[in-house]
Amino acid sequence: MLFHNYKYAMKTLFKNKPLIFWTFAFPLILGTLFSMAFSDIEKEEQLKTIPIAIVKETSNQNSMIINIFEHLKTGEEPMFQISYEDEKDAKTLLENKKIDGYLILSEPLKLIVKENGINQTILKFVTEEIIQTEEVMRNVVALEIEDKNMLTENLYQSVYLKLEKWKEENQIELVNISNKNLSYTMIEFYTLIAMTCLYGGILGLYLINQNLANQSANGKRISVSPTLKGKVIITNALAGYTVQLIGIALLFFYTICFLKIDYGENIFFIVLLTLIGCFAGLSLGIMIASVFKTNENTKTGIVIAFTMLCCFLSGMMGITMKYMVDKNIPILNQINPASMITDGFYSLYYYDTLDRYYFNIFSLCIFSILMLALSIRSLRRQTYDSI
Amino acid sequence: MTVFKAYLKILNKNKFLVILYTVILIFFAGFNMQNNDTGTSFMAEKPDVLIVNENETDNVTKNFIQYIEKHTTIKEVQETEEARNDALFYRDVNYIIYIPKDFKNSFLEGKKLNVEIKSTGDYQASLAEMLVNRYFNVANIYRNVIKDEETLLEMINTTLEKEVFIEVTSKLDIEKFAKATLFYNFANYSILAGCVFIICFMVSSFKEQKVKLRIMVSSIEYKKFNRQLLFSNSLFAIVLWLCYVILSIILVGDVMFTNQGMFLILNSFIFTISALTLALLIGNLVHNKEAMSGIVNVIALGSSFLCGAFVPTEFLPDFVLKIAHVLPSYYYIHNNDLIASLETINLETVKPIFLNMGILLFFGFMFVVMTNIITKKRNR
Repeated sequence: MLFHNYKYAMKTLFKNKPLIFWTFAFPLILGTLFSMAFSDIEKEEQLKTIPIAIVKETSNQNSMIINIFEHLKTGEEPMFQISYEDEKDAKTLLENKKIDGYLILSEPLKLIVKENGINQTILKFVTEEIIQTEEVMRNVVALEIEDKNMLTENLYQSVYLKLEKWKEENQIELVNISNKNLSYTMIEFYTLIAMTCLYGGILGLYLINQNLANQSANGKRISVSPTLKGKVIITNALAGYTVQLIGIALLFFYTICFLKIDYGENIFFIVLLTLIGCFAGLSLGIMIASVFKTNENTKTGIVIAFTMLCCFLSGMMGITMKYMVDKNIPILNQINPASMITDGFYSLYYYDTLDRYYFNIFSLCIFSILMLALSIRSLRRQTYDSI
Repeated sequence: MTVFKAYLKILNKNKFLVILYTVILIFFAGFNMQNNDTGTSFMAEKPDVLIVNENETDNVTKNFIQYIEKHTTIKEVQETEEARNDALFYRDVNYIIYIPKDFKNSFLEGKKLNVEIKSTGDYQASLAEMLVNRYFNVANIYRNVIKDEETLLEMINTTLEKEVFIEVTSKLDIEKFAKATLFYNFANYSILAGCVFIICFMVSSFKEQKVKLRIMVSSIEYKKFNRQLLFSNSLFAIVLWLCYVILSIILVGDVMFTNQGMFLILNSFIFTISALTLALLIGNLVHNKEAMSGIVNVIALGSSFLCGAFVPTEFLPDFVLKIAHVLPSYYYIHNNDLIASLETINLETVKPIFLNMGILLFFGFMFVVMTNIITKKRNR
C-alpha cells in the first residue's frame, strides 16, 4: 500500500509541469544567469593597466620621473600605459575618458584627473612615491654631509647605492596568510542551492493540498477513503522529497560540471547539508499548506515570496547582504533557512573547521522539526461533519 | 467600466497576495540601499583596512597605525578570527594587517620581522599593500641613518606627508548620485517583478475558460477590452511606481529634486509603462497561474542580472551586455547610469537619454501590438 501511494504521488508530481519547472528548470536557468553575470566581476577587480598621459612642460625635463614611469609601463602586466602629449591633447583625452589622468612635469608636479577613483588614487600614489623618494634621497644626502662634515666625490651616487642596498636588506617582510578560497561570487551559487531546497516546499504544498478535503476533489476522495491519513501524507512527502533530490542532484551536476562551482572538498558534508536543506524546504511547504487556510494559488505565492525574501537576506541579489545582516541583525539570519544552507556551504568552502557547519545543520534540523510540529498540530484530528 | 469594476473586485479578493508581494519588493529595494555602503562601493578611494595589533602601543607602532589610518578607512569588527575572516570574504575589509609582538624592537634593531597580512587580492587590497610597503621602505632607509627614535619618526612622517598637487576637473559629485542610481537600478527588479506578477495574476483571472467565453460572446470588441484592461492595470502600476518614488525621496532625500533626480523619476515612469505592457503580454500568453510565478522570476531576475541591476554594468562581460540589448531593462539601467554622469544639461547631453526612453516606449508599443494580435487570434 505504501509503495502504491508513493508511486502515484510520484506520477502526479511528474505530470504537473509548473512544478517540474520550479524544481528542475528554474534553478538551472538562474544558475546560468549568475554565471553569465558574475564571470568577470572578480577579474575586473584586479589591478589593471592604467592609461595616463605625461605633459612635458619645459625642455629641461625631470628625467628621473620619466625613467620611473617608463619602468612602470614595461613588464607582463604593466601598471601604466603612457602617452606623451601636449596639455591640450591630454585635456581632450581626459575629457573623452581615454586616460584616467595626466601628469604635468612642472615644478612642482601637477596631476590632473577628471574624477575620484581607484585608478586615479594609484596614479596619485605612484607620483607621490617618486616625490617622496626624492625627498628621502635629499634628506639622506644632507645627513651624510652632516655626519662626515664634508662633501665627498660622487656623494649622490654613493647615497643612491646605499639606498638600493638598504632596500634589498629590508628585513620587514609581508607574509600573506589569507585563505586561498576567497571567491565571494560562490555565495550566489550557494544561495541558488538554498533557493532550490526551499522551492521544494512547493512540492510539499501541492501534495498536502491533494490530501485536504477543502482544497481539491482528490482530497475529498482521500478523506472518505479508509486509508490512514498519516500514511498517505508520509508517502506523499517521501515522493516530494525524492523529486526534490533528483532536481537538486541535477543542479549540482550542472553547476559542478559546466559552471565549475567549488563546493569544498568534503562530499559527505555537502550531501548531508543538501539532504537536510531539502527536508527543511519540504517541511516549510507542508507547514504553509496545512496552517494557512486559503486557496492553493495564495499558498504558492506565500512559499515563493517567503523563499525570495530568505534568499534576498542570504545574499542572492547582492552578495554582501548576508554579511550585513549577520553583522547588524544576526537574529534575522539565524532563523532564515536559506541563510543556514548558504552559510553551511560557505563554511565548508572557506573554513577548515566544522563548528560553524554543524551549527547550521543543527539549526536546519530545529527549523524542520518546528515546521513539522506546526503542520501536525494543524492537520491532526481534522474531521468533517456530514452536512 | 465593467472591466475596470471586475478588475477592482479581483484585486480586492486577492489583496493579501498583492500586498504581500508589493511590500516584500519595496522592502528589497529599501533594504538593499541601506546596505549600499559596503555592498557595491567598487570605486572607493580608500581601501578598507583592519589592523590587529598584538603589540603594546608604543610610539613606533602608533606612528605606523596613524599613517595607515590617514590613508585608509579603518574597519572594526568583533575581535575574533572568524569575524575577521568573514569581513575579508565579504569584502567588508580589503586588507588585514597583524602587527606582530615586539614590532618596535625588531624594527629599530633591524632584525628580521614578518608582518602577517590577509588580502582580498583586488585593487583596493593592492593599494593597501602599496601603502604598507611604502611606509616600511621609507622607515627602513631612515632607520639606517637616524638612531634617535623621535627624530626617526618625525623624519618618516615629514617625508610621507609630501603630496602631489592634484586637480579634479569634473564638477559632478558622483557620490551624491550613486545612492539614487543604485536605488533606481535595483528598482528594475522590483518594478518588473511587481508589475509582471500582479498584472499577470489579474489578467489570468479574466482568461479563465468560463469568464473568457462570456467575454467572447459579449458585444465588447477585443481591442476595447484590452484597452480597458491596460487602463485598469496601469492604475496599479502607477501606484507601485509612486511607492518607489516616495521611498526614493525618503531614502535619498534632496538629490531626487535635482535635475538628475527628476530624470531618474521620469525614466522609471517610462520603464514602468514598458513593464506594464510586457506584463499584459505575458498575462495573455500564459494562463496557468502556477507557471506564471516561474516566468515572472525568470524575466525579473534574468533581466536584472543580465542588464546590471544587481551587478554594475562595467563588471558585466561584453557578450552579456550584447545579449542584454534585446531587453527593455538594459535601456532603463543604461539611462540611469547616463543620468548619474550628467554634468550639464543641454540638447547634446540629454539626447541619448531621450533616445533610450524612446526605445523603452517602442518596446511598450510593440508589446501592446503583440497582445492585440494574440488576443485576436485566440478569440477566433
